[in-house]
Amino acid sequence: MFYRECGVRHTTYAADRALAVIPFERVMLGVLIAAAAAAPWLVPDLFLVSYLTPWLIWTAAILGLNLLMGWAGQIHLGYGAVMAVGAYSAVHLARAGAPFVLAVIGGGLAAAVVGSLFGLPAMRVRGLYLAMSTLALQGIVDWLLVQVPAISGGAQATLLVPRPDFLGLPLATDAARYWTALAFAVLVALFVANVRRTDVGRALIALREKDYAAAVIGINVFYYKALAFFVSSFIGGMSGAVLAFMYYRAVTPEQYGLHVSIMAVAMVIVGGLGSIIGSFLGAGFILLAPIWIEHGLRQLAAALSINISPSTLAHMPLVIYGALITGFLLLEPLGLAKLYDNVRNYLRVWPFGYTKK
Amino acid sequence: MGRAIDGFAAPTLVGLVLHNAEHYGNRVALREKDYGIWQEYSWADCARHVAEMALGLAASGFQPGDALLILGDNRPRLYFGILAAQLLRGIPCPMYPDAIPAELAYVARRVNARFALAEDQEQVDKFLSLPEGVESLTCILYDDPRGLAMYDDGRLVACDRLEAIGREHGRQHPGFVAQRAAEVSPDDIAVLLHSSGTTGQPKGVPLTHRQALAAVRNAYAAGYFDQEEDIVAYLPVAWVGDFTFSVAAAAALRFTVHIPERQETVLRDLREIGPTMYFAPPRNWDHMLTHVQVRMEESGRLQRFLFRKFIPLAVRMERDRLAGRRASGPVAAAQRAARWLGEGLIYGPIKDHLGLSRVRHAYTAGEAIGEDTFLFFRALGVNLKQFYGQTENAALTAAQTDDEVKLRTVGRPLPGVEVRISDGGEVLLKAESLFSGYYHNPQATDAAFVDGWFRTGDAGQLDTDGHLIILGRVEDLQTTAAGVRFVPQFIENQLKFSPYVKEACVIGAGKPYLAAIICIDFEAVGHWAEGKGVTYTSYADLSQKAAVYDLIREVVGRVNAQMPKELRIKRFVNLHKEFDPDDGELTRTRKLRRNVINDHYGSVIEALYADAPEVEVAARVVYEDGRVGVIRRCLAIRHVEDAA
Repeated sequence: MFYRECGVRHTTYAADRALAVIPFERVMLGVLIAAAAAAPWLVPDLFLVSYLTPWLIWTAAILGLNLLMGWAGQIHLGYGAVMAVGAYSAVHLARAGAPFVLAVIGGGLAAAVVGSLFGLPAMRVRGLYLAMSTLALQGIVDWLLVQVPAISGGAQATLLVPRPDFLGLPLATDAARYWTALAFAVLVALFVANVRRTDVGRALIALREKDYAAAVIGINVFYYKALAFFVSSFIGGMSGAVLAFMYYRAVTPEQYGLHVSIMAVAMVIVGGLGSIIGSFLGAGFILLAPIWIEHGLRQLAAALSINISPSTLAHMPLVIYGALITGFLLLEPLGLAKLYDNVRNYLRVWPFGYTKK
Repeated sequence: MGRAIDGFAAPTLVGLVLHNAEHYGNRVALREKDYGIWQEYSWADCARHVAEMALGLAASGFQPGDALLILGDNRPRLYFGILAAQLLRGIPCPMYPDAIPAELAYVARRVNARFALAEDQEQVDKFLSLPEGVESLTCILYDDPRGLAMYDDGRLVACDRLEAIGREHGRQHPGFVAQRAAEVSPDDIAVLLHSSGTTGQPKGVPLTHRQALAAVRNAYAAGYFDQEEDIVAYLPVAWVGDFTFSVAAAAALRFTVHIPERQETVLRDLREIGPTMYFAPPRNWDHMLTHVQVRMEESGRLQRFLFRKFIPLAVRMERDRLAGRRASGPVAAAQRAARWLGEGLIYGPIKDHLGLSRVRHAYTAGEAIGEDTFLFFRALGVNLKQFYGQTENAALTAAQTDDEVKLRTVGRPLPGVEVRISDGGEVLLKAESLFSGYYHNPQATDAAFVDGWFRTGDAGQLDTDGHLIILGRVEDLQTTAAGVRFVPQFIENQLKFSPYVKEACVIGAGKPYLAAIICIDFEAVGHWAEGKGVTYTSYADLSQKAAVYDLIREVVGRVNAQMPKELRIKRFVNLHKEFDPDDGELTRTRKLRRNVINDHYGSVIEALYADAPEVEVAARVVYEDGRVGVIRRCLAIRHVEDAA
C-alpha cells in the first residue's frame, strides 16, 4: 500500500544493490534516524536512559552475535563472556589513561582474540558440541573474572568506569551517552548490512547452509569460521565496553554472566536469525517487554482495584513474557524479523495477494 | 487548448538528432534494460552511434536510395540504423520481427534491398534462408553476436565491426557527417513502412521527414504529448506508431525512449520505467485489466472487498463525469473523500503495480476499446484517451483531448488534418502529414486517392461536436440473408471484452442468422478451469470441455442481450486453436483476415448453419519455419438459447 515502486529504475549496479531502494523505505529510514537523533528532546529522560540507550547498545551486541549465528551458522553460548572481556579490557585501558574510543576498540580487540579462542572448537565440532564447548568457556571466563582480582578486583568488587570523552568533548549528559550509543548501533548495523553484501558475507552464508558444500565450492572453511568468530567477538567486545561506559558506568562480573549469554541467544532467535531489523526487534523485545509487561500489570491492577501480591507481581510478567516468546515463535518460527517481513510483503503486493514472476 | 508551435530546430529527423546532440548532449535519449540495469545513451551517444553506422555503411558501399531492411525487436542499434540510413539518404525499411522468410523476400524484392540489419541470430537466419531470387542482398548486419561465431557467410558483418569501419572511414573523411546531414532533404523518405494489409499483399508506405514531423507537430499542437516525455518502445519498429513516437516525436521533442529487456518482460519493466506517456493497443489494456482481475481473485478477503467497493464507485463517478453530470454539495464532497481514500487504498497501488502512476498521457488506438476496460483505467485515474490514425498519415489523424473524452468517438481531427466523410460513409483525409503515394505502386495510389483526398477505407461519421466516430472498415459492412446490415468487428469486440474470449469471428453475410467462431483465452479460461476443478491438458482439450462451453455460452448470451434481436448470435463453436498470424488468419497487428478464416474453416461454418452438434475439422497449420501440418479435431457446436 505504502510501497510505491513505479519509476524506480537503476542505471548502475551500485544503485541497484543499495541498502534501501524503495522510496518509501528510504523516507522511513530517514524519519527513523531523524527521530532517533532527536529522541533526547522527544522522550522523557528516564525513558532515554533506561530503555533506549541499553536497547541500542544491546542491538549492536546482537548484530555481532547474529553475524556468527545467523549468517555463519555457528552457535555461541558464551557471548556474555566475550562482552565481559571487552568491557574489562576497555575499562582497564581507560583507567590507564587511554581515550574512550581507543579503549573501546582495544576492548574489542581483546575480546576478538579471546572470542577466536572460543571459536577454536568450531573448527572441529558443530551444533550441540559447539554449544557445549562455548558454554564451558563462558564458565572459565566467569571463574577467571571472579578469581583474579587483578581483573575484577574480586568477586564482590565493582570497578567504576572513568568518565569518557570523545575528541575532548565530555560525554557526561544522558543525551550524550544516548547519542554515543545510537552512533555505535548505527555504525555496527551499517557494517553488518554491508558484510552481508560482500564475498565474505556470501561465504559465511554458504558455510551456514553446509560447510562441506562450502568447502567443495572453494571456500576456506577454517578461515571463514575463524573470521566469523573474530569479527563477531570484536563487535561483542566493543558492545560490552560501550554498555559499561554508557549504561552501567561500572563493571561487575555478574553483568556478563551465563544468563546474559542465554539472553543474547534468545534475542537473536526471537528477533530472527540473519536479520538486521530482527536484531533491533529481538533486543528490544527481550530487554523491554518484561519492563512494560510489569508496568502494564501494575496499571491494570490499579485500574481494576485488585490487590496483587508483590510475589505474584514479580512472577506474572515472567509468565506472560515466556508465553509471548513461545507464542511469537509458534506464530512465526523465523522470529520477529519474519513477522515484519510478512507485513512488509503484504503491503508491498497490496492490493494483490502475492507477486507474480 | 492548442498551443503555439515554433518550427522544430531542423527539418529532418536525423538533423534533429544531431541538433539534440549538440544542444542537449548530456540529456538521456535512450535507456535500454540490459544485463539487469538500465543502460543509458545520451543524445551525444546516439549521434555518435548513428554517425559511425552511417560511415560504416557508406564505406561498405551504401548509396543514396539504397534500402536498409531492419528486422528485430526494439533495440537501440535498430533505431540507430534507421537514422544512419536517413543520413545517407537511403530508405530504412523496418519489418515485423515475427515476419516469415516469404514475407521478407516479398519486401526485399520490391525495394531491391542490398543491406539488411538484423537483431540477432534468429533474424540473421531468416535473411540467410531467403528463397531463391533475392540475390540482391550483399550485406547483413547484426547487433547481437550471440550464436553467430561459427557462421561463415561472407555477407555477415557485426554492428560493432561496422562501427569500427565507420570510425576509420571517419578519420579519412573528416566532415562527412555534417556534409551528408546538410544534403538530407525534408522530402527524402524517412521510413518505408508496410501497411498491415488485411487484404492481400502489404503495400509500401513511404513517409518523408516532412510528413513525419508534420504529424508530430499536429499532435503536439493538440496537446497530445509534451516535450521530454518518458516513453516505452515495445511495439514493433515496423508499426507506424513506434516510428512516429520513438523516432520522430522523440527526436523532435527530446523524449527519453525506454527499451524493455525482452518482449516477455515488458509488463515488469514498465513498472521500473514509469512512463509519462504510454500507448497500448486495446488488447494490451484488456490484458492488463484481465491481469488485475485474475490477481485480485487470488488476493485476500480484505483486498477483494475493498476492490469491489472502490472500483465500481470510481467507474460510476467516471461514467457520470464523461456524461457531463456533476455532483454538487455534500455528494461531491463525499465523492472527493471516497476518491481520496480509494486513491490511497486501491487506485494508487494498482497504478503503481502496473507502472502507470506517472502517466500523464495514455493512449489506445487501432481498434475499438471495450467500455469496461476504458472506464476501468480512467476510473483508476489514468488519463486514457483514444486516437485514430493510419500508416499512410503517420499514425496521427484524430485524437481525444483531456477535456473532451467521449466513449464512442476517437476525438476531433488534429489541427492541420482535414477530415471529410464521403457520400458512401467513408472517412477521407487531407493533411501535410499524409503520404504522397504507395511505394512503386501507382495503381494502389490511384485507388487510394479521390480528388486529392485520401480514402482511409474506414466507415465513419462526424458527430455534432465534430468528433469522429469510426464504425469499422467500409468493406466489412455485411448483410445477412434477411438484409440486415452489421459490422462484425463491433460484435466481435463486444465478445472480446470478456476476459475469457481471446479472439472471435462473427459470421453471417448472406446467411440466415449470425454465428461465431470463438478462440478462448488460454490463461484466463485455464485459470477459471483450475478454480472449478476442470482438468485439461492443452488448449484444444480445454476449449472442448462442456463446462467451458457453458462459460462461453454465458458470455455470448450477455452480448446478445445488448443486441437487437436480428443481430444475436445463434450458434457458436470453440475453436481448437487460436487464430495465428503464421497461419495467415490474423495480420501481424492481429486483425482478422476473414477470407482466410472462411477458407480454413469452411466446414465449421457450414456446420454452424446446419443442425449438427459437432463437426470434424482438419486445420492447416504453418509452422514458423514454413512447414505445413494438419491438425484433425472434433469440435462441438452450441446453441445459445436466449437468441430468438
